Parts: sequence; structure tokens; C-alpha cells
Amino acid sequence: MGTRRMSAADKIYSTLNYTVLFLFCLTALYPFIYFLALSFNDGYDAMKGGIYFYPRVFTLENYSKAFNNPQVLNAFWISVSRTLIVTLCSVMLTSLLAYGLSRKGLPGRKYIVFFFFFTTLFSGGLIPTFILYRQIHIIDTYWVLVLPVLYDFFNAIVMKTFFDGIPPSLSESARIDGASELSVFARIILPLSMPVLATIALFVGVGVWNDWFTGQFFISKENLQPAATFLNKMISEASFQTMTGSGGGSSIQNMSQSQMELRGVTPEALRMTFVIIITTPILCVYPFLQRFFVKGVLVGSLKE
Amino acid sequence: MIVKEAKVEVMPIPKKKSETWSRVWYFRHAYLFMLPAVIWYLVFSYYPMYGVLIAFKDFKYNLGIMGSPWEGLRFFKQFLNDSSFYSVLKNTLSISGLKLLFGFPAPLVLALMLNAVMRSKIKRIFQTISYLPHFVSWVVVVTLMQKILSPNVGLVNDIREKMGLDSIFFMGMPSLFYPLVISSDIWKGIGWGSIIYLAALTNIDPHLYEAAEMDGAGRWSKLFKITLPTLVPTIGILLIFSLSGILNAGFDQIWLMQTPATLSVSEILDTYVLKTGIQQGQFAYSTAIGLFKSAISLVLIITVNKVAKKVSDVSLW
Repeated sequence: MGTRRMSAADKIYSTLNYTVLFLFCLTALYPFIYFLALSFNDGYDAMKGGIYFYPRVFTLENYSKAFNNPQVLNAFWISVSRTLIVTLCSVMLTSLLAYGLSRKGLPGRKYIVFFFFFTTLFSGGLIPTFILYRQIHIIDTYWVLVLPVLYDFFNAIVMKTFFDGIPPSLSESARIDGASELSVFARIILPLSMPVLATIALFVGVGVWNDWFTGQFFISKENLQPAATFLNKMISEASFQTMTGSGGGSSIQNMSQSQMELRGVTPEALRMTFVIIITTPILCVYPFLQRFFVKGVLVGSLKE
Repeated sequence: MIVKEAKVEVMPIPKKKSETWSRVWYFRHAYLFMLPAVIWYLVFSYYPMYGVLIAFKDFKYNLGIMGSPWEGLRFFKQFLNDSSFYSVLKNTLSISGLKLLFGFPAPLVLALMLNAVMRSKIKRIFQTISYLPHFVSWVVVVTLMQKILSPNVGLVNDIREKMGLDSIFFMGMPSLFYPLVISSDIWKGIGWGSIIYLAALTNIDPHLYEAAEMDGAGRWSKLFKITLPTLVPTIGILLIFSLSGILNAGFDQIWLMQTPATLSVSEILDTYVLKTGIQQGQFAYSTAIGLFKSAISLVLIITVNKVAKKVSDVSLW
């Protein structure tokens, strides 16, 4: 293809295409650049406006205040521990389920698949779920952050599709050698499935890291709030103040007292910093897993 | 498949119906692997489905789901006679309709544009950047929006003031609510949505294009005669999903974006259910609305799937 000469029209189209894509990528990135600049800028100086791409009065104060705040640290500790626990357990449990579903000739497989698939079509809804959580006493405990998010049938289907693609002869020869079903799964299937396991781990991990809902409605204890919920509480408090006219430059002292008892740093600058801190882990992980999730994993699931 | 397997199995898979139980025994480990999932789904999915019964009951905690007195269709009548319910329904349909209209084609366009990029390194950089918004939480997206559009030295108003224009409280204006919802939804989802189309595009045999070029096909006829027809099954399946989710206007996004000033256009079924149920404690009423929504969604997906199966060979099951 490269050997063919481009016509003038081709060149125009190509240039136009690159330009639009470049602008599109700028749109996707810019809000984070803007926040990055604000998070490294002195909060009071930022209120004069005019900061668009880089900090004007550089400071690390926002970050040092954020990382020294026990509430912020606790929220991140909850999020980190929750993400690790749920991702590990969920990938393990989902892969077991997917392996079971992928076994050919399993009696009743059609009914078992329907049992799971139906839950993706119909759900009890919010209130019955809330009542369930109360009845099993997981409201306002760490359990509500972990148990309800352990399974997602979509993930199981993605894994099952991948397992289906592994040549059956591999596990069969192991069975002939007398390997148990568990060791076939752990020694043959899992090591061959790293791409799909990494993809599902990413999906689950990001979902849990970003979940603000559980913390907002099923947890009232301050010390169990995950970071995403904590951020939401910071912004809703701020927007309430904007709405009632008490926000803005006139009442920074007022805001910082209600929010975090901070001096020298504006709550606004702290919110920008918090957004950067909460986004960074995701930014560090997904580009490296891109080749896995792009390569056919999703397409395979659609064919199912 | 089974025959082939059976040849090499130590313990051949029994095949006669009378041997069902020994087959079950043969697969006992597979069942055991699925057991935690079955228990989890019974508790976290099926028990709440049983719990929808409270939509027909005057639910009292101390009496439990079964013990609470029956109320029949009282709560369904209550919301069907409530004018605010219709405005909520209208908002829900407006938002998801607009999302379908503008948001659905967006990833397709992006995929076609990315597909035209010949240099694979640049293409990959574009793609990586385009996925970023998908991976951040709606809480973060709405925080970004609130700051950028803030009347209090937000980016847009900062520039407006420098140009001598008045500051505007964008997030508090009902007329701007839908444009902001649609554009932020596209911003967040376009890159991720394009993955599936890009994957389908890589399956197109390049010889098809070469042959078409020999026959003198131009850019547009290649697009309409080769590229788009190949994508039809993918588009079809995604459309089935979107159509059956028409009552989901996007809870996270709407809940986080709505302000008291925009409630008249921003209240959707999911936010209404949450407010009446958890915040006001009208459990039965809220469950009735939720059940109404789930039931219609279920009927929708079955119908859309059936119609799709009939008019084309695209279907979910």
C-alpha cells in the first residue's frame, strides 16, 4: 500500500483526518492537563484565572496537604484495599465459573447458562437490593464494598469465550496423566489465559476503583468511605455553595472550615489535586493492558 | 466434539440418557467450580427478584417481605396517576433518545477515521488517548465539567470574561442540560465504543479494496460498498443493546450532573426511584416504579431481538 503514490485528494483527506483526530485527542486530554496545572498552582493565585496549560505560581503544597490529611489517606486506603481484594477474588471466582461453563458435554449446561444470563435481562432493582443488604447486615460494613461486586456475567462470558479457544487436547493429555480437574485448570488453562485474566482484572479493578455509589448510599461511616465517594462529597458540597451564592472567592475560609480545616490551600485547589491523585493509578495501568483488551477479547464476547 | 474428546479420555464421557448421573458425577468438579457463583447469584440477583413482591405490598420491615399485607396494584395506580411520573418518563426517553441519535454513530465515525490512519504507531497513540475518558469515574468527569464550566473562574467563563462577556452558570441552566449530557457522554464513551468497530474492520480482507480499486471504485464507494456492509452485524448487535436500554438514561452521569435548578429536565426514572425509595423511604412505591422499568426493558430486549432475528440474521441469542 505504501508504494502507491497519493493523489492530491488523498493528501487533503489524510491531512484533514489527522487534524481532526489530533484535535479530538486534545479534547480527551486537555481537561486533565488543566487540572494538573491547577493542582500544582497556588490556590489563591489560581482564583485570578488565566491558568490554562502550566502552573503560574508553582507549589507542592496542595499535594503535601492532601497526603497529610488523615481523611484523604483513609479514603485512599479503603479504595486501594478494596480494589485489590475484589479484583483478586473476582478474577478467581469468575475464572472458575467460566471454566465450568466452557466444559463440553456438561449435563444441563444450557439451563445453567440461562440461570446466569437471565440476571442480565431482569433485576430486582434498587429497593429490594437495599432490603437484602439490610437483612444480611452488610450495610455500613466493609462487606458491602466487596460482596455485591464479585461477579459480573459479562466478564464470565468473555473468559469462557477465551477458554473455548484453547485446544482441548492440552487438557486431555493432562487428564490422561492423571491430573485432577483443579490442576488442569490451575496448571494448563490459567497460564494460557493471562491476556484475558489481565483484561478482566482491569475491568473489575477500574469498576471498583471508580464506584462512588456503594459508598454514597450504603455506607454512612466516615472511615469506610472510598476515594470516589469522598470526591463526590467534596464536589456536591462545593456546588451547593455555588448554588446558594456562598461559594466563590468571598468565603474560602468558610469552605475550608467546613471541608477540611485547611489553611494556605483552597478547597478548590485541593479538589483538583484529588482528581489528579485518583486518576493517576488508572493512567498508569490501562495503556499497558491495551494490547490485551483490544485484541479480539471483546469481539469474541459479542459473537456469543 | 464430544466424540473426539471421548477417544482420549481416561474415563470416557457416558452418553446414554440412562447414564446421565454418571455423566454428572464425571463433571462433578466443574459443578463444584460453579457452585460459589450459583450461591452468589441466588442471593444477590434472585433474592432481590423475589423482593419485587413488595411493589404489591404495604412493606413493613418488622413484618418482612412475605408478612407485609398485600396492596394489589395500588402503587402502580399511584404513579400512573402522578403527573410528575410522566415528566420523569419524558426526560428519560428524551435523554436516551438523544444519546442514541448522537452518541451511537460517534464511535463508528471515530473508528473509520482511525482506520484511515496508515502509520500504526500514531494510530496506537490516538487510540490510547481516546480510551482514557472511559476509564475515569463519572465523579471525575463531572468534577472536570464543573470546574471548566464554573461561574467562579472556570476555564470557559475565565475566557469569556477576558473577552468582555458575562459569566454564565452553565451547569445550572435547564436549556443547556441535554447538550452537556450528550457531549460529556460522547466524550467519555467514543474511544471505547470504537474498539469493537476497529476489531471488525481489521477482519476485512485488503484484497477486497484492491479489487474494488481496479474496478475504479473511489473512496466513498469503497466506504459504502465494502466497509459499512462488513460492519452491519456489529452495528446491529450494538443497536439491539441500545434500543433495549432506552429506559436507562445513565444513572451515574445524570445523578452527578443534576442541580436543583435543572430538575425539571434532569429527573429520570433511576434518579426518581432512588429519591423516592432510599431518601424518602417510600419502599413499595419506588419498587413499583423500578419493576415497571425492569419489566418494560425485559419485554423490549426480547422483542427487539426477535424482530432483529426475523429481518436479519443478527441477534443476541
